[in-house]
Amino acid sequence: MFSRRFILGALSAATLAAPASMASAADEVYIPLVSKGFQHQFWQAVKSGAQQAADEYGVRITFEGPDNETMVDRQIDMLAAALANNPKAIGFAALDSQAAIPLLKQANDAGIPIIAFDSGVDSDIPVSTATTDNLAAAGLAADKMAEKIGGKGKVAVVAHDQTSRTGIDRRDGFVNRMAEKYPDIEVVTVQYGQGDHLKSTEVTKAILTANPDLNGIFGTNEGSAIGVVNGVQELGTEGLVIIGYDSGKAQKDAIKSGLMAGAITQNPVGIGYETVKAAISAVNGEDVPALIDTGFYYYDASNIDDPKIAAVLYD
Amino acid sequence: MTTATDIEKKKPLAGLADSGAYQKLLAFASLIALLIGFSVVSPNFMQTSNMIAILQATSVNGVLAVAATLVIITGGIDLSVGTLMTFCAVIAGVVLTYLGMPLLLGVTAAIAAGALCGLCSGTFVAKMKIPPFIATLGMMLILKGLSLVISGTRPIYFNDTPGFDQISRGSLIGEVFPALPIPNGVLILFLVAMAASYILGRTVLGRYTFALGSNEEAVRLSGVNTDIWKMRIYALAGGICGIGGILIASRLNSAQPALGLGYELEAIAAVVIGGTSLSGGRGTILGTLIGALIMAVLTNGLRVLSVAQEWQTVVTGAIIILAVYADMARRKKAG
Amino acid sequence: MSKLVDMTGIEKYFPGVHALKAVQFDLVPGEVHALMGENGAGKSTLMKILSGIYQRDGGTLKIEGQEVSPTTPREAQNLGIGIIHQELSLMNDLTVAQNIFIGREPRKRFGRLDEAALNAQTAEIFTSMNLNLDPKTLAGSLTIAKQQMVEIAKALSHRSKVLVMDEPTAALNDAEIAELFVIIRRLKSEGVGIVYISHKMDELKQIADRVTVMRDGEYVGTVNAADSPVSKIIAMMVGREVKEEPLQVPDLGAAEVALQVSGLTRNKEIHDVSFSVQKGEILGFAGLMGAGRTEVARAIFGADPKDSGNIRVHGKTVSIRSPKDAVKAGIGYLSEDRKHFGLATGMNVRDNIALASMDLFASKGGVLSDGEMASTAQQYIQQLGIRTPSDRQEVRLLSGGNQQKVVIAKWLLRDCDILIFDEPTRGIDVGAKSEIYKLLEDLAEQGKTIIVISSELPEIMRLSHRIAVMCEGRLTGILPGGKDTTQEDIMHLATQRAAAMQVTGTV
Repeated sequence: MFSRRFILGALSAATLAAPASMASAADEVYIPLVSKGFQHQFWQAVKSGAQQAADEYGVRITFEGPDNETMVDRQIDMLAAALANNPKAIGFAALDSQAAIPLLKQANDAGIPIIAFDSGVDSDIPVSTATTDNLAAAGLAADKMAEKIGGKGKVAVVAHDQTSRTGIDRRDGFVNRMAEKYPDIEVVTVQYGQGDHLKSTEVTKAILTANPDLNGIFGTNEGSAIGVVNGVQELGTEGLVIIGYDSGKAQKDAIKSGLMAGAITQNPVGIGYETVKAAISAVNGEDVPALIDTGFYYYDASNIDDPKIAAVLYD
Repeated sequence: MTTATDIEKKKPLAGLADSGAYQKLLAFASLIALLIGFSVVSPNFMQTSNMIAILQATSVNGVLAVAATLVIITGGIDLSVGTLMTFCAVIAGVVLTYLGMPLLLGVTAAIAAGALCGLCSGTFVAKMKIPPFIATLGMMLILKGLSLVISGTRPIYFNDTPGFDQISRGSLIGEVFPALPIPNGVLILFLVAMAASYILGRTVLGRYTFALGSNEEAVRLSGVNTDIWKMRIYALAGGICGIGGILIASRLNSAQPALGLGYELEAIAAVVIGGTSLSGGRGTILGTLIGALIMAVLTNGLRVLSVAQEWQTVVTGAIIILAVYADMARRKKAG
Repeated sequence: MSKLVDMTGIEKYFPGVHALKAVQFDLVPGEVHALMGENGAGKSTLMKILSGIYQRDGGTLKIEGQEVSPTTPREAQNLGIGIIHQELSLMNDLTVAQNIFIGREPRKRFGRLDEAALNAQTAEIFTSMNLNLDPKTLAGSLTIAKQQMVEIAKALSHRSKVLVMDEPTAALNDAEIAELFVIIRRLKSEGVGIVYISHKMDELKQIADRVTVMRDGEYVGTVNAADSPVSKIIAMMVGREVKEEPLQVPDLGAAEVALQVSGLTRNKEIHDVSFSVQKGEILGFAGLMGAGRTEVARAIFGADPKDSGNIRVHGKTVSIRSPKDAVKAGIGYLSEDRKHFGLATGMNVRDNIALASMDLFASKGGVLSDGEMASTAQQYIQQLGIRTPSDRQEVRLLSGGNQQKVVIAKWLLRDCDILIFDEPTRGIDVGAKSEIYKLLEDLAEQGKTIIVISSELPEIMRLSHRIAVMCEGRLTGILPGGKDTTQEDIMHLATQRAAAMQVTGTV
């Protein structure tokens, strides 16, 4: 009884959700993207960009990522499953480059080009990397922060992660720029909220309690930035400059209402798009640049509806 | 002895149901059915390399699930298996990379650290009478924090320890049979499972594991020092988590200090799918192994079929509920 | 007079078992109809069909002349059938009133619970039962006897016309049984029909009008309680005559004192209890519920800590702080509640027998020899006559008597020569009871020292070479065994309350 229902259930779910899998023809160009995450709006935007390119060029893609950015081994399993499906190329955003190297070598030996995206892959195997320059982007956030608080005072950072490349780069980009260019601004603390809204809220409240004279806070990703806004609202603190990172509905609303001064946005749609586009070029044997800078922008209430900005923001 | 045969005649089904053979058969049949089902639907599924990928994906979760099985049979629960694994991986990293000790010492240190942490959990549960759920929840968080503290919140790489990555990635089997490059990690999982199975079936510790889950008070009133045996079981489970730590560190060639949360639930899911009762007293390692394999096959198969990731999670959840329901229905029938 | 219940030709099959074979049973208003039979005879199955827990596979069930087929306990309740289960089914963390009205609590508007009405209605039922109990007491804080009373109140609250009582007196002392009988007689006079399942023969004489006997799922016969001798009913139940041998008190003379307890005290439960038992002697412990007999046994065994007191085994003082120490000293304890304290029910006969002696079968590395365990288990299965298909049978599938023998085997294997039996025949059939008695006598003859705690006076008088009587935590006297001691002598000591105790002695 169990086994029969078991197969039926598994198969019906499978066929329901993936009618395309049955039709996979031998000459179809299939490009799986193994990302660092899946559920966050940012990754969904990357996915939509990738899908856009896939539709344009008539290739089939899949997009997968582990539930959270600590699950290094789960990402490896995803990469292994992707390899089993005879892909023409693979898009990959490594959580930990070293761990993935055996599989990447295997792909390389099989002549499958790898396109790294987002934080990239720390290896010379990928033929190209589509990414945001996080150090420079966080530096821009520091410049904007300094400008808003008048070049002196105390600021804090609520970061999303202490081990990942983006976490480290955004934190260092901000902190180093402050140290180099703004001697009168002190970064009093860097705290981590794992990119989780609730945890980041608690972290923010703790920072504000410890530093009542704080002038500004930088949140290093979507979850962190929203957490900062929540924390400030819950404590009723006023006159604090908040600068965020990435977009999402909550963050956009906060900027429109003036709670948040502004935010850095990457170009997630562009990351996805460029990754797939580069993969197709590589499959066709064309030259691809080793580094594709997908760009970043600073946006605030004044330019949030600017078509150029609105195009890279996601809800 | 005529009466004895009378009873036997009256309950012809009792023997089969009690031996648990039926449940194992059921789980095994489900596994085979899944394999066949996926092979039929996707030509890419049944390849040696993909089968090996599935086995490799099972190795860490399988080892943790074996550890969790031991504790669950006593009627307890261990929520700390995931972060304990990470902690042991970090200990291996500290000993091998930071202190530059030889390979064997690092492995031993990791397993010893696991056993020690297990002993701590066991002490909380047995001596301090803290419910296992709470005690191991506390351990889970303590170990998560300690892993970050000890590692300095950075991954520790094993580049300076040649051969470390071979523990999991290398293939002794592949050297003998080149067509079958099954990674050592899988081999280790099976060795751990066989050892645990032997301990459960053939040793005093194993017998008391079942007895504690079946009726702890009766065991205590039989003059057995239940506290000490319980601590030993938790320590053994901890040591096995240590092996899990070595496996994952070797596979990633690094100790990832932030990893581990959520792994305990997958391990428990494998245990439950394998037919081990959460109320204790019943369970098999073979069942757990099959449970872990079912989870890995399912995840891999759905991926190979390119099922959207949202749906993969839904299906996995449904399977867990279905598996436990099937077990319950069977037990109710057996009366 | 029309029949309340009329069951004829009832059939029931379970996988592999033909549980009921053309069974008949009827009940008229205002009668107590006893249903007798050994465990496994099919009494409970029959009553579960009546109360909607099982569905019949054949035959007819009529309630007040109407053919019905209740498919849930709730439907049966609506038909006026209430059942009080042998195993209590109260929720320990709810109050007794909440327990009684579970699922049909009086409500105020918007689904809010009306606790006041709940407690008032419960108090009313308690008054009608002459039961002095606060409706707001937590069920878990009550004694088993009081919980039983609550179960009865729960059934009464349904205004049942038919009340099924499955061994209602199993956990009650004599005073409580008398109270229960008063309630049963009152219900009778109100026209309620009562199905009474019990193993206690003396109760039948007091309360039952008719007796129906079942054996192996079959109907044996129905007789009038008043003019049927007990021996006849027993013969119907077991299918043969069971003869009781009179007690022979052996002359132990100067046999060694195996166990000497002096000044044993624990909290309010045990006050300065001192006694000694000789090798080869059976010492009975009599007393009412809550007299502290079990507590004495547990304190001696180290299951509960004691405040003071000295225990000497074979003349040597031993320090017992846990069951482990007691077992080392050669003391074994067989709890009244085998399922909770005696057996690992999910495990097989072999493992249960070896449970206290694993070290005998283990190598230095802790590896077990299953072969040795099996042959040892088989040896005891033969020696004690344990009826089981094999030593690998799970003990939960054995009858009560055979489970008890498994526990005895456990202690014999451990080489315990002082055995404390707490209610050794609770939940055990009449036929198996005499077997257990014989076994205890044999053990004493072989030189074991036996202490038997029992609430059934006939059992105490049947077995004991000497009878220790307790009341409210004190040992009020030790009587000689044999025909010189009467039940009245024992009851006199069992109710001999200390002057100081009368003030605090409530509940």
